[in-house]
Amino acid sequence: MQQRPPAEPLLAIEAVSCRFGGLLALDAVSLQVQEGEIFGLIGPNGAGKTTLFNVISGLTPPSGGRVLWRGTPMSRPSPERVNRLGIARTFQNLRLFDSLPVIENVLVGLHHAARQPLAGALLASPAFRRRQAVLRSQAIELLALVDLAELADQTAASLSYGDRRRLEIARALATAPALLLLDEPAAGMNPVEKDDLCALIDRIRAHFALTVLIIEHHVPLMMRLCDRLAVLNFGERIALGTPEQVRHDPAVIEAYLGGQP
Amino acid sequence: MIDPTLLVQMVLGALLGLSVYLPLSGGQLSLATPGFYAIGGYMAALLSTGWPALGGAAPLYPLPSLLLELGLAGALAAAVALAIGGPVLKLRGIYLAIATISLVEILRVLNLNLPFTGGAVGIFAIPQPFSDPAGYLGAALLLLLLVGLLCQRLEGMRFGRAQAAIRDDELAASCMGIDTARVKLTAFVISAVIAALTGVLSAHFLNTWNARQGSFDASITTLAFVVFGGSRSWLGPIAGGLALTAVPELLRPIGDLRLIVYGLVIVVGPVFFPQGLITPELLKGLARWWPWRQREAAP
Repeated sequence: MQQRPPAEPLLAIEAVSCRFGGLLALDAVSLQVQEGEIFGLIGPNGAGKTTLFNVISGLTPPSGGRVLWRGTPMSRPSPERVNRLGIARTFQNLRLFDSLPVIENVLVGLHHAARQPLAGALLASPAFRRRQAVLRSQAIELLALVDLAELADQTAASLSYGDRRRLEIARALATAPALLLLDEPAAGMNPVEKDDLCALIDRIRAHFALTVLIIEHHVPLMMRLCDRLAVLNFGERIALGTPEQVRHDPAVIEAYLGGQP
Repeated sequence: MIDPTLLVQMVLGALLGLSVYLPLSGGQLSLATPGFYAIGGYMAALLSTGWPALGGAAPLYPLPSLLLELGLAGALAAAVALAIGGPVLKLRGIYLAIATISLVEILRVLNLNLPFTGGAVGIFAIPQPFSDPAGYLGAALLLLLLVGLLCQRLEGMRFGRAQAAIRDDELAASCMGIDTARVKLTAFVISAVIAALTGVLSAHFLNTWNARQGSFDASITTLAFVVFGGSRSWLGPIAGGLALTAVPELLRPIGDLRLIVYGLVIVVGPVFFPQGLITPELLKGLARWWPWRQREAAP
């Protein structure tokens, strides 16, 4: 398998382990995500996929190994610092700001874009108001991208499940990431919505020059969407390669279908 | 006609309500307000009675001296809040409440026992900057106007949005790049300053100051202002502070039953008004009658 020339990977995970008491959730997992690719992470439940996301996004400190961003190790990562580096994520169990309107959820993502002189903001100066209007139109644009512009003023809690998943993506995109981590974005979606989601991910990747790291159980969707896949099982990376390579990997077949006697 | 003295107390109550409200609107149940209120009061009492150069002997205490007290009390409260806010705000929910109650109690015991705070008797004959309650009412209303406007503006800024995000889901907020520790600390410090400024006015107004001014009771009372008034808009704690200061004073004959009323408000209030008196829905309804509101809300 000849990948692209060995440019510096956008994200490199080097022998990352994560232990919770007696449970080794990640066992020296290594992988590299190249700029511009859609990289899939699959594996049975409890394989450590979300734990890996939590390590990357600074929520869970790894017990061993390190994460490199553009070739530099992340030192003492915290979620907000990781986000400022250019890594945004969605959550498997949807963590929207439920009491806020849809558009405010996206505006929270625009937090750093919204930095303005304090005096102008306190006095509601014309410049402040103009900037606020620009931010709102940016938020509406992001919502339009995920087909939620019409629901901008509803509270996030009132949205349907699929809409909530797409709102999380819009909110993550608002933080202007270079790498987007999607944790089971298609969970709970019907087949039509899943197709739409595929198209959406392709669209946003092109539109924002994004690199995408995606966890998803729906294997056909992943085969279609991803440039490369890694397979985790019991915290270990058991396979890595193009969808075609992974599909025929004996270790993967064993993990999913059970070993041959 | 309501007694102007009561009106002053009501406005001071509204200010304390805003002080509790600021951290609470970011989901932080801090009950430290009476502690900083006491700091402000002692600052005013000690300076005006102990430092003749400020003009405490004059028939009317000079206003520049009052402004100096406000500045010093605000600065001291901000410094204390900054120092303790870092570690204390790492606690969440009820643990933060307990830690801040402890802070209030520590300050109360200190104030009882320090050599210069007058012990249990406190400090008497604090000079008066105004000759009648109307003057105090004007000063308190001016402060309420400034603090209210500040809160209203903060809600329209990214700070207010960050607070709302932290209230809904702190972890998700931090994953959106919000420095949650910093936002929480900022709210805590502003809250402390508001309480201290209120304490300065209060000390002059009451003419006397002692350790009972900042006690656990006061923590619960001021929390009741916000729970009763509503914690989703800056107007809520103002309404709650005004109302809950007025009602028990009008019901003075029931004496200590006031505390039971506050307790009942905290227990029963959330059942019948989960969001308090001033809810977002109510404000939306009112907005139709408020010609400027629409432009304000949609910048």
